[in-house]
Amino acid sequence: MATKHHDDTTHDAPATGDGELYGILAEYDTPGELVDAARKVRDAGYAEFDCYTPFPVHGIDEAMGIKRTILPLIVFGGGFTGLIGGVFLQWWMNAYNWPWNISGKPSWSIPANVPIAFEATILFSVFASFFGMWILNKLPQVWHPFFRSDRFARVTDDAFVLGIESKDRRFDAVATRKLLQDAGAIAVEDVYLDPDPKAKAMPKWIVAFVVASTAFALIPFALVAKARNSKASQPHIHIFADMDFQPKYKADTAMDLFADGRANRGEVSGTIARGHLKADDTFYRGLENGSWTLGFPKQLEINDALMKRGQNRFNIYCSACHGFDGRGSGTIPQRVAATGGAWQARNLVEAGGATVTMPNGQLFNTISNGFNTMMGYAAQLPHADRWAIVLYVRALQRSQNASLEDVPPDQRGSIR
Amino acid sequence: MSILQKTLHPDEKIKAGKIGSTLSKAGFGIAAVFLGLSIILTLMGSPTGGHESKWARFFHAYVIGWSYIFSISVAMLWIVMLHHLVRGRWLTAVRRICEAMAGAFPIIFIAGLGFIIPLLAGYKDLYYWAHPDAHNHELNHHLLHKLGWLSPNFFAVRYVIYGVGMSYLAWYFAKKSRQQDESGDPKISETLRIASAPAMILFSLLVSMVAFDILMSMAPKWYSTIYGVNFWGSACVGGFAALALIVLGIQRTGRLTRAINAEHYHDIGKWMFAFTFFWAYTAFSQFMLQWYGNMPEETHWYKYRMFGEWQWVSIAMLVGFWAFPFVFLLSRWTKRIVPALVFFSVWQLVFHWLDLYWNVMPSYQWQVAFHDGARIVAGPLTGNTAFHQVGFSPVDVTVWLGLVGVFLIGLGRNLTGNLIPTKDPTLPASLAHEVQ
Repeated sequence: MATKHHDDTTHDAPATGDGELYGILAEYDTPGELVDAARKVRDAGYAEFDCYTPFPVHGIDEAMGIKRTILPLIVFGGGFTGLIGGVFLQWWMNAYNWPWNISGKPSWSIPANVPIAFEATILFSVFASFFGMWILNKLPQVWHPFFRSDRFARVTDDAFVLGIESKDRRFDAVATRKLLQDAGAIAVEDVYLDPDPKAKAMPKWIVAFVVASTAFALIPFALVAKARNSKASQPHIHIFADMDFQPKYKADTAMDLFADGRANRGEVSGTIARGHLKADDTFYRGLENGSWTLGFPKQLEINDALMKRGQNRFNIYCSACHGFDGRGSGTIPQRVAATGGAWQARNLVEAGGATVTMPNGQLFNTISNGFNTMMGYAAQLPHADRWAIVLYVRALQRSQNASLEDVPPDQRGSIR
Repeated sequence: MSILQKTLHPDEKIKAGKIGSTLSKAGFGIAAVFLGLSIILTLMGSPTGGHESKWARFFHAYVIGWSYIFSISVAMLWIVMLHHLVRGRWLTAVRRICEAMAGAFPIIFIAGLGFIIPLLAGYKDLYYWAHPDAHNHELNHHLLHKLGWLSPNFFAVRYVIYGVGMSYLAWYFAKKSRQQDESGDPKISETLRIASAPAMILFSLLVSMVAFDILMSMAPKWYSTIYGVNFWGSACVGGFAALALIVLGIQRTGRLTRAINAEHYHDIGKWMFAFTFFWAYTAFSQFMLQWYGNMPEETHWYKYRMFGEWQWVSIAMLVGFWAFPFVFLLSRWTKRIVPALVFFSVWQLVFHWLDLYWNVMPSYQWQVAFHDGARIVAGPLTGNTAFHQVGFSPVDVTVWLGLVGVFLIGLGRNLTGNLIPTKDPTLPASLAHEVQ
């Protein structure tokens, strides 16, 4: 490199129109020599100098006498702020300012708050890291007097340059130059300030760009603010009109094509679709000769499998209110009682109670269509399953009101 | 030489010499003393935790100890492969020691036969799925579907596959590295880099499966797909802590005193720090989804750790394995100043063991019911949490220490020849390594 670039250490022709001396640049051949030179400059007592290299160089911080950065502390502070802020935010919103009862869950619970606290910690750490780095490095800096040197442009490519600024209290044009040369510089160059004060000013187009982009960035907020505080007679703007207004008719909407003015084409009156006749009053409605049936529909075989099915469906659909034993002590009445409510679920097995004396058909009808606050389960349960539940409820009523005599004699011994 | 590259100092002692055989002998002594002590303690004791066999505690502790030494080699094999995969440089000066630690796999898997063989012979008080009552339809109807996978014979077959797979990976990377010591061929580095990509996939599958089979199946009704990742995170905390201590120990014998310096310790400490957080991250991810989802087949695993005596162990884990080391390992000095690094390495090695203990031991206590006079074992994580005990036993620690001895045997066998890859093309960069 020493041969490639002209070496003129004794005399550098000043650039045209130079002002006062800003500093001295010295170029070194290798990163190693730059580190050595930096150490010598530091030992000579200079403080206002810097090294410029195309890549990070090992050991140069120590050689230049640069203290370790305080950025980690800033990041820690940012992260801690995020942590505290994230926790406080959730406490304030969920537990203090607007507590909202969701299924009786606690409005303040540590594990649920960890993800937000974690994310806030990361966010604030990154902000502190990013902006802290810019501030500590005095960025953004769009111009520097050393930029006037052509040699300096090469520090982003292949040059290892050390620059001492004239504002250093030990700076002396002759002695400093000699120091840099003695440290093995392959070239030393004086850099002068531009006498024109405009050179220091921020270029107008950058200022204009910043102002314009800031103004543009505010437009969405301005539009939102306007929309919140004004009324409009015009409809919304539809960017994709053919998706917002599709040429089709949805259920239960108006349609002029038909005489009844409806888009729905219901069943033709006086007809029933195949398999939907439901003529069997007992199976579908629990009726026999116009009154509630006392037995079960003839197409159902009363056996263990039907009983198991009934138990399974009962435990899924009925036990939440009526309890697994049918005594009306399910989890929902328990919660209602715990929150001070008066509502109770019916005890299905109470001896002599309404449900025990109710005919099978009426019980089936209650499951199908509901009773008082109980909703009908016709949508969830097929007819056969409803009959299975009727069967199981009968079994529950029997077992919950049983006496020792109901137990087979050979098993009575195992009951205490 | 440039400041980015350095050569080995001519006076550097890089030969292992006798430390390998000394370490093996010491390991053998430790293993013999502590495993012998464990056997004596077990024979003097009586069955606890609803088990019929007095060996149940011993075997549970054995699974923990085995997972512990296995995990340390897992971490070391992983860092060696990662180093090749990403063309890393800083690790090269330390890599031979990592390879030696990963090379303990054959010995570790032979030691693991200590609980595999009893399982094959019909021992039923270690894994509940090996107990006849696991087949009880009334108690375990949704466990029955898993019992095809979790059967002792198939389990043993998989164990052999894991052992051969992990041992082969560790052996391959160490062998090629030593070949380079002789030939100096830079193409070997390239070969290892290409090999490390599929090896990493195989490694991930094997480690996850080991975690699922050997640790997660302790509570066979419970499942978590992130479990293997969480185990690997914990393993790397322990692995890098062990690496720091072993490298320091080797330097104490006057070897590699110039080649490895605070910069390398700093990076080892950074890995330990990173995985301290990674472990907490995955552990919380696992907890959060199951706690919030609130499905009984998932939450029961946490229920027995959040209530009763085990909650104190859980809190100790949170503070000891994560919060305390996290705050201190954030700083630079804890990784560069030797006494501080030693303190945190030992600390994390102990808490890594506690992590495995916390994963396994709550499943130790089995619920036993009597039905028509017959004894029916409902298995782990059943019954009232208030009666669920930690039930610490001295065997827990002695078995662990005995298996650490086993690990030292495996490590010592591999500490031969050069302790540093002398002709690795990245060695000069590693010797000049500097943490920015």
